[in-house]
Amino acid sequence: MSKGWLLIPLLLLTLSAHAEDWPGEQWPTGPAISGPAVEALEQYAFPARDDATRQGIRTDALLVIQDGRLVYERYAGPNSADTLHLTWSISKSLLATLFGVAYGERLFDLQDPAARYYPALDQQPTMTLADLFHWASGLDWQEDYEYAPLNSSVVAMLYTRGRHDMAAFTARHERYSPPGQAFRYSSGDSNLLAAALRNIVGSQRYPDYPWTALFEPLGIRRATWESDTSGTFVGSSYAYLTARDLARVGLLMQRDGRWGERQLIPKAWVAFNREPFVHFQAGQDEAVPGGHWWLNRAADPAIHPWPDAPPDTFAALGHWGQALYVIPSAKLVIVRYGDDRDGLYRHNELLKRAMAAFAETVQP
Amino acid sequence: MKRRWLLVLLAVLFVALASWLWRERTALRVFPDIISAYTAKEYCSCRYVMLQPADYCRGYVKQSVPISAFLETPEAKRVTVSGLGRSHSARWLGEQQGCRLEP
Repeated sequence: MSKGWLLIPLLLLTLSAHAEDWPGEQWPTGPAISGPAVEALEQYAFPARDDATRQGIRTDALLVIQDGRLVYERYAGPNSADTLHLTWSISKSLLATLFGVAYGERLFDLQDPAARYYPALDQQPTMTLADLFHWASGLDWQEDYEYAPLNSSVVAMLYTRGRHDMAAFTARHERYSPPGQAFRYSSGDSNLLAAALRNIVGSQRYPDYPWTALFEPLGIRRATWESDTSGTFVGSSYAYLTARDLARVGLLMQRDGRWGERQLIPKAWVAFNREPFVHFQAGQDEAVPGGHWWLNRAADPAIHPWPDAPPDTFAALGHWGQALYVIPSAKLVIVRYGDDRDGLYRHNELLKRAMAAFAETVQP
Repeated sequence: MKRRWLLVLLAVLFVALASWLWRERTALRVFPDIISAYTAKEYCSCRYVMLQPADYCRGYVKQSVPISAFLETPEAKRVTVSGLGRSHSARWLGEQQGCRLEP
């Protein structure tokens, strides 16, 4: 009998562990949700697709995780659950999360000069790693893609003058502002971080670090992260994950850096990612920069980029409509892959409809 | 008198154009490389990283600037594209590393 009594706390412990869902090899699924709100979401995300003109909203994948369980998933075009989709600038936030693991290893401090880890920046001794995470290097970078190809720093970096060594190309840009004072979105800043990471974790560990430090602990078996000729990860643009695996990163962020029993990334690091950059000014970008993640709130309380989504919403965003949204207050993670070639897609509209379809049904 | 003013105007325009060309010389020199490098790199990744069908990837990388030649070697997972008088190749290196433009 006494043995039986001893088992009860053990049983309770097991029950409480089961109360929180985590993906193993596959995502646990929740009850299928349907109805007019889901239909309204689909009408927005999946209009008739035209691969010839490439006009309009073209969602490749839409996936919703509700409190750790997969409750909605749909693919379009040639995409499937197995597709390693290009994330474009979601890579920047993945890079920041990867840095979080190194932060947990106490390998660097945010106020360290960037030049300590990337000596090509020795002309900028006051630039800190935090400045780079805020896209506030002060370097005179031009981010335009298709519309100003002649002077686009990012086109030159990816395809012509910068492609052999993207960080070195960035470091050669002149300064337009003291570091840390002004926000200017820059893929170059992200690749300076990618280059600094090599010296932070050591060149031995660097080539496998995204896999050993982040992807494998999250149970991600297949991922691609392309590098430049010098071997530096293209931290700005070239990570590829399935929609289901990108959602794992979202759940890690939703739960403050914890993965199951393990605090994979310090809470303080996620807090930094979610802290608005104080010098951001309204209208400088479509969302508010935090520490290499995008936020729905700013130091100025009047700024609310996605008014129909909760203020604690944060996201990783990429070219042509890639998005990983995390809404901790609603326990939602949403992955949206797309191939939007015009500017029609609106984050706020998708978030509004996704909230209507999935936020209310969370069980207490 | 009128003709003289025209000449002065032309001279001013010529100087402005020449100085713009000089200022932008680096960007202008590599400008024709963009279309072939972009097409080769992004097609390679579409085909060998994302594993999409070839005809889909041809549409995926299509831009308003035309290309003049396209050569895919599936055995080597290599793509060579020419356009605006320049030519670039990209090659798949492995599952982790994906595609990269060749030097």
